[in-house]
Amino acid sequence: MSAFTAECYQNEHLPLGASEVNAIVTVTSDGAAGHADRPEAAEIVIVDTSGSMGAPRRKIKSAGEATSVAIDCIRDGVAFGVIAGTEVARAVYPIDSTLAIASPQTRAKAKRAVDRIEAKGGTAIGSWLTLAGRLFATAPGRSCHAILLTDGENQHETEDELDRVLAELEGRFQCDCRGVGTDWRVSELRRIASALLGSVDIIAEPEAMADDFQALMQTAMGKATGNVSLRLWTPQGASVAFVRQVAPTIEDLTARGLPVNPLTADYPTATWGQESRDYHVCINVPPREIGDEMLAARVSLVEGEEPCAQALIKAIWTEDQQLSTRINREVAHYTGQAELAECIREGLEARKEGDLGTATFKLGRAVQLATESGNDGTMKLLQAVVEVDDPATGTVRLKHEVKPLDEMSLDTRSTATVRVGPAAT
Amino acid sequence: MTVACPRGHESQATDYCDQCGAPIGAPPLTAGTTHVFPTVDEVDTSPAARREPCPVCGAPRSGDDRYCEGCGFDFHGPPPAAGAWEAVVTADRAQFERLAVAGISFPTDYTERRFVLADGENRIGRSRGNPDEAVPEIDLAAAPADPGVSRLHAMLERRSDGVIVLRDLGSTNGTTVNDDPVPIAPESPVALGDGDRVRVGAWTTITVHRR
Repeated sequence: MSAFTAECYQNEHLPLGASEVNAIVTVTSDGAAGHADRPEAAEIVIVDTSGSMGAPRRKIKSAGEATSVAIDCIRDGVAFGVIAGTEVARAVYPIDSTLAIASPQTRAKAKRAVDRIEAKGGTAIGSWLTLAGRLFATAPGRSCHAILLTDGENQHETEDELDRVLAELEGRFQCDCRGVGTDWRVSELRRIASALLGSVDIIAEPEAMADDFQALMQTAMGKATGNVSLRLWTPQGASVAFVRQVAPTIEDLTARGLPVNPLTADYPTATWGQESRDYHVCINVPPREIGDEMLAARVSLVEGEEPCAQALIKAIWTEDQQLSTRINREVAHYTGQAELAECIREGLEARKEGDLGTATFKLGRAVQLATESGNDGTMKLLQAVVEVDDPATGTVRLKHEVKPLDEMSLDTRSTATVRVGPAAT
Repeated sequence: MTVACPRGHESQATDYCDQCGAPIGAPPLTAGTTHVFPTVDEVDTSPAARREPCPVCGAPRSGDDRYCEGCGFDFHGPPPAAGAWEAVVTADRAQFERLAVAGISFPTDYTERRFVLADGENRIGRSRGNPDEAVPEIDLAAAPADPGVSRLHAMLERRSDGVIVLRDLGSTNGTTVNDDPVPIAPESPVALGDGDRVRVGAWTTITVHRR
């Protein structure tokens, strides 16, 4: 178990009658647990082996190599397995409906089995995830993580079928999703990653898969915690407007709250390594009198049963306008980052529908927000889709020819945020 | 082990109340208040939040203020008796001179008129002798008539709880009370006490009296 710290950034001063309290809570995990304290892990790599993965042939070959690299990263003692996915799911290794325990021997056997995978068949991602869930169930008490790779759309099952599978698997394991090439659907993989508390990203060239898988597996091996939840207490009469992870990526957690008692809810955040994440919490409280102070929320981290590390979100009503109108830098920054992601999503959607006016306006606003906040990564991706005339005012022109890869990269990575920069002096 | 919060809740947490979020250790809102308030009630029932509504206009009483901010009702006044009230109409030269309306002269011979206030509504106005029109209970049409009084000017209501309430009914020239030069808002209730003077038109003053 590792140690958490939580810090709160907010302007706690409210004018008379105001009820909305906003705060950014930064949670940091030192990840400094020794090997002995680490929870036992279970890892599954799910590789798309549908027909399209064989065209070009180097795609399936690269996927196999990347899987082998990932297998090499798995620590001794970790339960692991490899699944090949087509319109059905098939265990590549081990093949006895369980998970293998990692050792030099089992890793070698697994890599030999991966070498033999062929690209043939369709795509039914829900069935792959279902098999992963069944295999993880044979390794109870471990913290379970999967990597899912696909190159195409989910063709052999309906959206409803996938939704049913996701609802059943939620909380059972964490799944990072990767799309290779440009024939897969961003919204589909995002839905899976979001439900299973994982990340989603695009891999442009098959050759880049190995590095990405290695990084994913190393991160997974570095996780020092079991499942951790963000616990939120709010006073009587208050309501949670939203709880949103805002760094390193934007993820709305509001609907995921599991009630602990009438005033407390837990928001699952999966496993933590040595890392730091920011959350934007917005609470509506019953307004009080001038001079009154109220605890608007108590935020803590819960691993197992015991809450550790807490941050206090407060509200103080004041007549002093200088205090109540002050804008907190962190809250303003992440409100902007959330708007940035929203503008990109809406802009790309409008562009697809041929509403070029809306697309230009939204993507222009996104350029302006990315410039203001110094989000260079997102700015670079935006520049592949629009010609920027004036970044300060968000004056842009849509490019006539946009490579699908550039558009999908922007779409996939639009939720990546940057942290608050140093204060202007 | 629980601690009492300033709003009277029992809290397990010792920094802020785990029911309402009030800081523990702040002075109690009302001295000696230690009783427990309902814990799942969303309505704030703490003494600080309780507001006695004005019996006349319903505006919440501000703290222990004697007079209602909404209509001037006297919370400390004698309990309104169900006794009889009358309205005494006079011509007030001071009012006439203050307003100094051009083209209107002060009546040379004005006899005081008395109207007993009936239960419920007593309208103040000026009938024109038209048989199709309702005649206001307090009819100021008899000569010498005040041309500044509207046909339907204001209303004195004697409520069942004994309180006398004045309302301007959207008069042309407005209604003032006592020496306040600012007219009362149309259709807003104003509570009157014994001896209060209602001023309408160029010189008409109506004083309400308990008999």
